[in-house]
This record gives sequence, C-alpha cells and structure tokens, in this order.
Amino acid sequence: MKFGRVALLLLAATALQFLVGGSRHRAAWPIDCFLIATAVVARGGNSSRAILVGGALGFLEDAFSQQLLGMNAFAKAALGYVLAVLSVRVVFGGAWAVGGALAAASLVNDAIVAMLSLLLLRAPPVLFSREALWRAAATGITGGILEAARVFPWRDWWKRRLLRRLR
Amino acid sequence: MSTPSFEIAAGRSRRSGLLLVCILVFCVLLLSAQAPGGKSHSSLLQSWILSASAPVGRAVSLVSRGISGLADSTAEAFSAREENVRLKRDLAASNRELFHLRAEVSQAARERLLLAGGAALPRVWMAAPVLLVENRAGAQSALIAAGSSSGVAAGSPIAVPEGLVGRLVTVGATVSRAQLLLDASAAVGARIVRTQELGVVRGDGRGGMRLNNVPTTSRVAAGDAIESAGIDGIYPRGVAIGRVASVARGGNLFLEIRVTPAARFSQLTDVLVLAPSPAVAGVAGGGGSAGP
Repeated sequence: MKFGRVALLLLAATALQFLVGGSRHRAAWPIDCFLIATAVVARGGNSSRAILVGGALGFLEDAFSQQLLGMNAFAKAALGYVLAVLSVRVVFGGAWAVGGALAAASLVNDAIVAMLSLLLLRAPPVLFSREALWRAAATGITGGILEAARVFPWRDWWKRRLLRRLR
Repeated sequence: MSTPSFEIAAGRSRRSGLLLVCILVFCVLLLSAQAPGGKSHSSLLQSWILSASAPVGRAVSLVSRGISGLADSTAEAFSAREENVRLKRDLAASNRELFHLRAEVSQAARERLLLAGGAALPRVWMAAPVLLVENRAGAQSALIAAGSSSGVAAGSPIAVPEGLVGRLVTVGATVSRAQLLLDASAAVGARIVRTQELGVVRGDGRGGMRLNNVPTTSRVAAGDAIESAGIDGIYPRGVAIGRVASVARGGNLFLEIRVTPAARFSQLTDVLVLAPSPAVAGVAGGGGSAGP
C-alpha cells in the first residue's frame, strides 16, 4: 500500500471514528475504525507498515480516550504485526476468517489495555464487558463485509448483469 | 533461485520484528514515564494531539449533526399531529397544576431562603457539544468541543440537565477530554437525599455505578435519589447523580448498592461545563491532567 493511501486511510479512520463516536446512536454499531484500518494495511502483508500504522492510530486513540499515551499504541502495533504475519503465512481468506480474526483482535486489544491499566494505573480490570463483546462483534462483522466486498468479482457481476439485460 | 528470495523474505521478517520490538519498547518507556509517580507528564503532548485533531472532529461533528438533524426532522414530521394532541392535553394539565403551584410558591420561597445559606449551586460556564465518546477496557471518556481558548480549565465538572456526567481531565486549545462518571477509575462524593447519608459513587467501567462506603445500618432503599455531596473538592454540591437500583448486603460492613445514572450517557450530545471548584482551579491552572 502506498504512502498516500495509508495517509488517506488514517484520515478516513479518524473521521469515521468521530462520525460514529459523536453520533447519538453510537452504541448501535460501535465499530473500532482504527483496528479495521490497521487490519486493512496488515492485509497487504507488509508487517512493518502494519506496525507503524497500528502504532500511529493507537496513539491517536490514546489521546482521545486514555489517561496514558501508549496503551492502545502498544496493543495495535502488536496486533498489526500479528495480523500481517497471519495474512502472509496462513491461508487467510474469506469473510468469515477475516471477521473472526478482527473480532478476536478487538477483544485482545481490550485485554492488553485492561492489563496495562491494571499495572500502571491500578485501575480495576474490566474484561469482556457487554460493550466490548458488542464492539468485537460489530468490528468483526464490518471487517467480514469489507473483505467479502473486496474479493467479490464486481466486474464479472456487472458484465453478467448487462448480458442479462441485453437478452 | 529460491535461496535469494528466501533470504530477502527472512531479512524483511527480521526487520519488521525489530521494528515491532522498537515500537513496543518505546510504548513501554512512554507509559512508564507517564505512570503516576513518574517525573514527567505527557499531558502537554496529549493536549497537542487533541488540538491537532480538533478540525477533523469539528468538521465530522458538523456533518454528523446535520445528518442526524435531517433524519430527526423527517421523523418528527410524521409524528407532529399526534404530538400536537398530546401537547394540548399536557398544556391543560399544566394549567391546572400551575394554579395549585402558585399557592405553594410563597411557602417554597420562604424555605428557599433558609436553604440558600447552605447550598452551593454550581455555576454553568458554557454549553459544549460532545465530539466523541469512547469506552475501552473500563476507561470511559468523551471529547468535548471546548478548550482553554474558551476559558475552560482542567478539573471542571461537566453535567447535563438530568445530572452529573464527569469532569475534564485534559484541556487542549479548542478540544478537551473528559473522564465520565462511568469510568472504572472515576469517583465522586455522594449523598443519599432521603437519609442524608454520605458515600462514594464509583463507575464500574461497564455502564453502571456503585455507591460504596454506606454502612449496613443504613435505611437506603431502591429508588432513593443520590446527589453529589461536594465533599471531594471536585464536584459541586447538590447535582443529581442517579437513583439506587438495588441494595444488597455485602460480605463486609458496607452495603453493596448499585446506582442507575441520572444522565443518559449513551445519548450524550451536548454537556454543560461547570465552573471548577476553587480547590481544583487553584491546582490545575492550565492544561494539566488530574488523576482520578
């Protein structure tokens, strides 16, 4: 993925996070846009880029939501690496696999942040809350739909549709 | 033929592994430096990031509000007739109630005079839109479109007409981050209105709150209103926090009381920024981040 596209992806993820998080209906479909953006870069197979993008988005998320900078950056950089390695080394395809991996990644992100909060802030650990599970499900389903849309043969489908019309 | 490509792949893998280690070590060092007890604070960096992201947040918020406003007005057009009938009925009932209330006003005014001496009503600084609400691993926070440029200071409580919402912890030039009362690290000194007993309300990080430190001898019951007590030096006195949802006997000397928040946190769109308490205003004095 080229640098310009990565920058555009970062901007789009931030804008989407604000759009979802600033809405009155934010609890209806609470997707983790930063994690999806990290996964999109990781899907390209370049682990270095996935780490850097994950780290950058994590820092941004920390500035918006955490008392300490670096918690989500730590989690998302590690997840970017793992997702990139998975997409290269494992036969990692299909909407279900990508959706499942994203849902699991969302829960792991929560667990890492909870652990760091416990260690550094003595904050009570909140793991697998209803919101976290719902966010993981929403993120996984959204990622799965995006993957399905990516691999769908749009050109063939359009040609077939045109042919059907002509007949 | 395959050996060089294998070596290239191995080299790349080693490089990315090294990058990962570097990033993780950097994060750990940064976190250690900010952790309570450390010498340096990253609140300045955090407030810079907040200020830099403010234009995106404001622009997206405008678009989001425009879309939801359009959707709301469309929906309202359909329900306007029913609402009109209901409002007329409500108005008639209100007029009857007004007649009775006028008779009670003089008595209430006398009581108010008595209470005025002890009340410390909060001063509303400004109203600000909520740009983003985030919750992850027990941390519940909100970004609001008000900052040091509009005279807002760290430590200022925020509220909605229904009740207390939280307080500002990091203040940027035009955007600030607030810790919500639902945050697992948030706490506020509270009073049970009916029994006048004091306790500490804490967020559970899962969307609910608990009232701690109320002895088992208390007469608190489900439905009792809870308000801020003004004893913590952060929140003003007399602002609604919520209602007692359930009371159970814990294993120790205190009751286990669950509290339903008065403010609807899931639907926050605008908040009122209250003037910080003199204690907080004296300490904060800028964009610093106050601990829980």
